[in-house]
Amino acid sequence: MLIFAISGKGGTGRSVTSTNIVYRHALQGNDVCYLDFDFGSPTAGAIFSVGAVARGTRRHGLHEYLRGDCAEPHQVDVWSESDREGLRTRPPEAGRLVLLPGSEGGGELSGGNEDMVRRCVQLFSRLNEEFDLCMVDVSAGRSYTAELVLNATARLPSIPFRWLVFHRWTRQHIIAADGLVRGDDGLLDAGARLGHDPEALRDRIRFVRTAVLEPDAAELVGLRDEQRAWLFACDQELRELAGRHKVGRTAMLGKIPLDPILQWREQIISDEDVLASKIANAETASAFDELAKKIVDDTAWEGL
Amino acid sequence: MLVMGEVHTGLLQSSGEIPESACRDVLHLMSGETVRLSRRPMIYAVSPDLLTGVDCRLPSASRSRIRGVGTVVSHSSITGGRVVQGSSYARVERAETDRRLAWSHYLARPGVIEVLGKAKSSDLGDGFIGDPQPNGLDLGSISARFMDVVQSSPLLDRRAPFKVARTKVRWVAQPGDPAIRFTLNADQTRTIRIAHSGDFTPAVVDLCEDLALHDWLLTTLLLIVERARIGGRAGPEVVAKLAPAVDHLLHLWMPAARVDEALVPYWHGLEDRMRFTAQWERLVRRIRDQLTLNDAAMLRSARHP
Repeated sequence: MLIFAISGKGGTGRSVTSTNIVYRHALQGNDVCYLDFDFGSPTAGAIFSVGAVARGTRRHGLHEYLRGDCAEPHQVDVWSESDREGLRTRPPEAGRLVLLPGSEGGGELSGGNEDMVRRCVQLFSRLNEEFDLCMVDVSAGRSYTAELVLNATARLPSIPFRWLVFHRWTRQHIIAADGLVRGDDGLLDAGARLGHDPEALRDRIRFVRTAVLEPDAAELVGLRDEQRAWLFACDQELRELAGRHKVGRTAMLGKIPLDPILQWREQIISDEDVLASKIANAETASAFDELAKKIVDDTAWEGL
Repeated sequence: MLVMGEVHTGLLQSSGEIPESACRDVLHLMSGETVRLSRRPMIYAVSPDLLTGVDCRLPSASRSRIRGVGTVVSHSSITGGRVVQGSSYARVERAETDRRLAWSHYLARPGVIEVLGKAKSSDLGDGFIGDPQPNGLDLGSISARFMDVVQSSPLLDRRAPFKVARTKVRWVAQPGDPAIRFTLNADQTRTIRIAHSGDFTPAVVDLCEDLALHDWLLTTLLLIVERARIGGRAGPEVVAKLAPAVDHLLHLWMPAARVDEALVPYWHGLEDRMRFTAQWERLVRRIRDQLTLNDAAMLRSARHP
């Protein structure tokens, strides 16, 4: 299964959320890999605390692979190469957790060619042999990268894939998420042009809300009544807006609560962060855990 | 001088084993050429040999710049309707002149790479077996492509019963007193060094492919047993995790079945040291014991609900 992580705007927490989902999916006993296709800023290594590839790799990164400069991309075994002690011990029930970093200083892909699409098809096809789940971080907005992976998946009809569109719970983000999917040259448009059936493609797209602050959250207990009333009203307005833009509850796969730890540092939230040092909220970890199950749960992906 | 090759092995991307006729269709890479097929002791199908032209730097342990021109022979194969291999090799020989000749010259000697200039056979062999060097002869990526052709066949449903990485076996054969050495590296790569008396024959390639097949079977069975976490979860769950091994792998172990009689002693030599079959049989017994235990538990609970 291939999962593509994308967002309408930058700063949604797409990378940190998708890395955490992959980490939880590995803990659930699956062999997983994470492909850093965010070519402008390949920093997934930093989130997994692999210092050596914090800003991409110097040798055989995904850029080089897609451009045909190396035969196989560099793979990093997170369980053995992470600098964080908590990530370096692979729990007995966990599957493999492998990162394919981008190239350091690689830059955005701009207008590729047929060879690049072919190499992308080959990459997905080989990784699908080896891993239960491949998460591909496609970066924000419309890009050649998004088009590349749409093109590749159109040529791999028997490999299942799904898209996660990340957005924050704000006006601009809701509108941007909808635009990215349904707008001109959005995913559905571009997908149809590249040979996908638009309806089938639409059923493979779900939204994930990030940094969500529920108006009745415990953190808001200290607010004045006026502030709380204002928040409720805002939330209500956003719900209506989301419904109109088809980004509402039915198209939503899950939401990640606002957690200070993710605002301060993009990192993997381990159970130790929740239970021992208590720097992260249990709700955040369980939201990741639940999403990690839902991405492969067919009942959560039944046609809308 | 020497022969170098690389074999990649992996699980065929289909839900079940595929029949003889499908093997034939999947391996039919080139029109006009036939797929060779043998039914005993196990269904084994191999594509026609195809050539890849190369003009590139050859591996060298001393990092010398050695240029080679010629062709690499490759084929894809399917064993038991279940395991795919992509295999490439080339005989490296000294060229008679130091300049590159017309392609017709090299095409007349399929599977030979001619070395332009000086080169030592041991330097080439050590360089090939060691870390792959950038921008040089890369038999691995040719073999990987020959696997891809099979794996991406539209005739396969791509719903393999479990996920498993391909293994890569790099081998070097040189004339000398008969000897064989098999080395397991930390990742999915293994190396084989063979010294053979007399001239090189393609039977050496068959031997390496057979070793690669059995190494993959053993590696995969170990992985399945590890993933099952025997003792770490409930019996029925363990059995469910072990089931793919019973369905798809256990019947495929048949060491040296396709190896030329003259080369069988190499297999025996490796067995004495590496105990492949002993380890395989122990794993199989362990799996069967788990099945038996689980059956007994189910019977007990059926009698005393």
